[in-house]
Amino acid sequence: MSGLYLPKEYLAILLFIVLGVGFGVVTLWIGQFFRMKRPYFEKLVAYESGNPPTDEPRMRFSVKFYLIAILFIVFDVEAIYLYSWALVYDKLGMFALVEMFIFIALLLVGYFYGWKKGALQWEK
Amino acid sequence: MPIIIPTLDFAALIPILAIITTGLVVLLLDIYVEDKAVLGYVSLIGLLATAIACFGLLTQTVAPTFQNMLVSDGYSLVLDLIFVVTATLSIMIALSYLPARDMQSGEYYALLLFATSGMMLMGAATDLIVVFLGLEIMSIALYVLAAFNRRQLGSGEAGLKYFVLGAFASAFFLYGVALTYGATGSTNLQTIAMWFSANPAYAHNPIAMVGLALLLIGFAFKIAAVPFQWWTPDVYHGAPTSVTAFMSVGAKAAGFAALVRLLLVSFGAIPDWRWVISWLAVLTMTGGNIVALAQKDVKRMLAYSSIAHAGYILVGVVPGTPDGVKGILFYLMSYAFMNIGAFAVIALLEQRDQIGSSIESYMGLSSRKPLLALMMLFFMFSLTGIPPFIGFWGKWYVFWAAVKGGASWLAIVGMINSVISAFYYLSVVVQMYMRSPTEPSELEFAPLSLPVTLTIALAGAVTLLLGLWPTPLIKLTALGIFG
Amino acid sequence: MSFPILSLLIFFPILGGIALLGIGKENVKGIKIMAFIVSIFELLFSLPLWFSFDKTTYQMQFVERHSWISLFNIEYYLGIDGISILFVLLSALITILCVLVSWNSIEKKVKEFFVSLLLLEGAMIGVFCALDFFLFYIFWEAMLIPMFLLIGVWGGPNRIYAATKFFLYTLVGSLLMLVGIITLYIQGGNTFDILALAGQHYPVKLQLMLFWAFFAAFAVKVPMWPVHTWLPDAHTEAPAAGSVVLAGILIKMGAYGFLRFSMPILPEATSAMMMPMLVLSLIGIVYGGIICLAQTDLKRLIAYSSVSHMGFVTLGIFALNTQSVEGGILQMINHGVVTGALFLGIGMVYERTHTRKISDYGGLATNMPVFASFFLLFTLASVGLPGTNGFIGELLILLGSFLTKPWVALIAASGLIIGAWYMLWLYQRIFFNPVNSRWNGIKELDAREIATFLPMVILIFWIGLYPNSMLEYMHVSVAHLLEQVTGNTAGIPSGVEVAVDTAVKATSHLPQVSH
Repeated sequence: MSGLYLPKEYLAILLFIVLGVGFGVVTLWIGQFFRMKRPYFEKLVAYESGNPPTDEPRMRFSVKFYLIAILFIVFDVEAIYLYSWALVYDKLGMFALVEMFIFIALLLVGYFYGWKKGALQWEK
Repeated sequence: MPIIIPTLDFAALIPILAIITTGLVVLLLDIYVEDKAVLGYVSLIGLLATAIACFGLLTQTVAPTFQNMLVSDGYSLVLDLIFVVTATLSIMIALSYLPARDMQSGEYYALLLFATSGMMLMGAATDLIVVFLGLEIMSIALYVLAAFNRRQLGSGEAGLKYFVLGAFASAFFLYGVALTYGATGSTNLQTIAMWFSANPAYAHNPIAMVGLALLLIGFAFKIAAVPFQWWTPDVYHGAPTSVTAFMSVGAKAAGFAALVRLLLVSFGAIPDWRWVISWLAVLTMTGGNIVALAQKDVKRMLAYSSIAHAGYILVGVVPGTPDGVKGILFYLMSYAFMNIGAFAVIALLEQRDQIGSSIESYMGLSSRKPLLALMMLFFMFSLTGIPPFIGFWGKWYVFWAAVKGGASWLAIVGMINSVISAFYYLSVVVQMYMRSPTEPSELEFAPLSLPVTLTIALAGAVTLLLGLWPTPLIKLTALGIFG
Repeated sequence: MSFPILSLLIFFPILGGIALLGIGKENVKGIKIMAFIVSIFELLFSLPLWFSFDKTTYQMQFVERHSWISLFNIEYYLGIDGISILFVLLSALITILCVLVSWNSIEKKVKEFFVSLLLLEGAMIGVFCALDFFLFYIFWEAMLIPMFLLIGVWGGPNRIYAATKFFLYTLVGSLLMLVGIITLYIQGGNTFDILALAGQHYPVKLQLMLFWAFFAAFAVKVPMWPVHTWLPDAHTEAPAAGSVVLAGILIKMGAYGFLRFSMPILPEATSAMMMPMLVLSLIGIVYGGIICLAQTDLKRLIAYSSVSHMGFVTLGIFALNTQSVEGGILQMINHGVVTGALFLGIGMVYERTHTRKISDYGGLATNMPVFASFFLLFTLASVGLPGTNGFIGELLILLGSFLTKPWVALIAASGLIIGAWYMLWLYQRIFFNPVNSRWNGIKELDAREIATFLPMVILIFWIGLYPNSMLEYMHVSVAHLLEQVTGNTAGIPSGVEVAVDTAVKATSHLPQVSH
């Protein structure tokens, strides 16, 4: 075993990857021998809940959607931190309180900036 | 289970905190202040304070803190100073460049400061995760800055290209971190080194090697080393000149900062990376220089030449000695002055549609703007590496370290490349001094505005004076040792 | 010596150049006068060197030594010995003549021209005074910038090509030398002190590598065949002053480099490489001469004659005996004076005719008798007529090389014949052929131009008739140099020792030419 070093811990992951990829590939590959192939127009049209598509699939969304999404993520992440923080708060004490205040203050700066710049207004 | 709070020595964070605070202040002021130039000056004050803090800390050593994730040693502080210089000069260019193009806005300065803080984090990081954190803070801010000139197609292209390829590079880097962790069980630079010395039999195991290779690829993207340089010319050319100046020095310095620490601290025991870096250096120097020869646009030429300069700096990485590290720091600092100086001249001459950056616009500059032409001459000769300019000492230091470290052949390749580079740097001087000016109607000059003029004067003076008397900078960079 | 005279000599013209920047652009006359005054004072300042120089020692004199960059042990270390003193004086003299010859011929960017010229002078003197290898290198490289501008901005039609070629050729050589310097520094005990470096013994293999690294820099500068091709272009395109500086000082630095660095620091490599060097020199002499015969361009002809004459210089240097080395050094001075004077003359006539084609001239002696007589003198000195300085130098070189290798002297002598051929033929075509009516109204030399020539005339006769006044400065230094080279050759099987021995014995029977 000299020179070649393979951590055993990762063997399971490797196996998982091989099995995962292998399963997908093999089933698709085997499937083609059994299924019927009769393509026609309606069958090839993109599936839109049964309705015929009315528009190009690649349309531009307003940038405001993204802003809302980003703001959501910011507070989402904050919430995650707050949960774990709250769990161990009594063991950490004052230090944790100060740290969390700094963290929230930083987020607030961003929030305040976005607010004042009009990121929260749908129409200006 | 008791929770032990690790020792948190905030002294190590002072420069970064100072920059971030300045950035936040700028961001908040942006809401209320109408005259955005004020924000630029606020940023400059913040940078000055940071510089003072760095100087103050230089004499003290702070042990690795935040669970060995950060360190404030001579190396990181000298780098901080390089970043501060880079940011300061770039902001001074921007103060003239942005209003002339209706791009003046507060976000610009804030983003630039955040990018700087990311660079500082990369310089101070002793953990691959923190390196990655700094890398992303820097890169994301830079993506936005590259695309800052919304009205110009080239700028948008620059931003997008930088973003896509930068994200690609980050992925490589991250995968490299993961594999290195897989092999050694740690992301901490010191612990990785300890693992390698404790398990010499496993030093060449494939996972660690692939991990190192991927890390190198990630860094090679960031420092624009051949063959990972494809994004550079378009991004540097398309981005606003004040951003290009900042990127070409700052991002490169940050990339080198983390790369050098990683290679020397973590992988010092396995010197296999040396020949990789050697060849990377050869390719980068030669590739950058040869393509730069063919350029007709000065800004684009400087973009390619910055690739070549990354190659020269890589020569200093190869020996892996303290001399090499100091040489790199010296080179980066000198490069900050001369390269940003050259970009400042471009920023001054450049017209709205990038007319002024073509080499023809420099024809006869010495008759029309003698002092400006003289400064450009300083920068060009300095970039070539001709004494008595500072660029000479940078090259000398790096090549000296290489020869001393037993890589004389690299120094010779570097010298030959200097000659190749002389050809295109000279062509700018030739245009300025030896050709007659074009019709004056074709090029009207933006009125000389004070900040950019000051930048050029400052950079020119430093380029010459530190070239004549490099001792202060040598002494400063001599402090650049790992803590 | 407490007074830092060498620093004064280096920095006075540089500061003078910077002071020139302060004069208004329109005040052309003031600029010229100021430049003239600076160059005159420079010469005056350099005279104490001539008078208070101690000729009895090879030790460096007028030494100044300060630490400059302590990390690399780089020192600000100046000093001159019998080899370099003459070049310092010559630089100061030639600069004055350059200022004078440029008086009317430079029309655009007058201020920048004289600034470049004075900066160049400071750097040139720095090269000759530096005793720290690194300091030497800095001056050596820094010199490139003003010279590049002189050729490129004020030169002829093809000036940009010539200037770039000059710059790149020299840069390639210099950078290879820089690698050599670094290697030497690491091998030679972390010092750049030339004297300390020379006192050590290096492995022969290393010496040979370093020799070629230095050769790259010095041979390009001399220029030796086959790296001479930049010189004709640079000479042809440079303005008169540029050509004069180039011929008078710049190309001497290559030969000076051999004397100051290659020989004392790498004695064994020098001995081992004697034959290749002699052969290259011979090729330069003969090839340069033959090429001259085919030239149609006045300046190009003189440029190629420089290749030939510098071949004599390197021949003398690498023949490695007292006569030849002293002859080589003297010939450098001679060549500086004579070729400098020829370029001055060409500059003056070009100012009037604006053509360099030889076939455009003819019968100029009718219209410009004074000029024709001066030019005749320079031509004859260049050919080596007894009584002029050229004779002494060439005789010493031939004598010395004969003692080393008789056949070398034989071939070199043929170069002299070719030299006489092309120079006299040139003179005939310009001054004697049927009078070209184009030049009927041409002006004779004015007082300024005659004054420019006079120092050269004086030097030609002075060295020609009383060479010992120059040679006595170099006897001790050259003897010491040769002792350094040949004293260390014990382990090297080579003919040098024997040759030098024979030379010493042989010369004791010969009449002492120079004494």
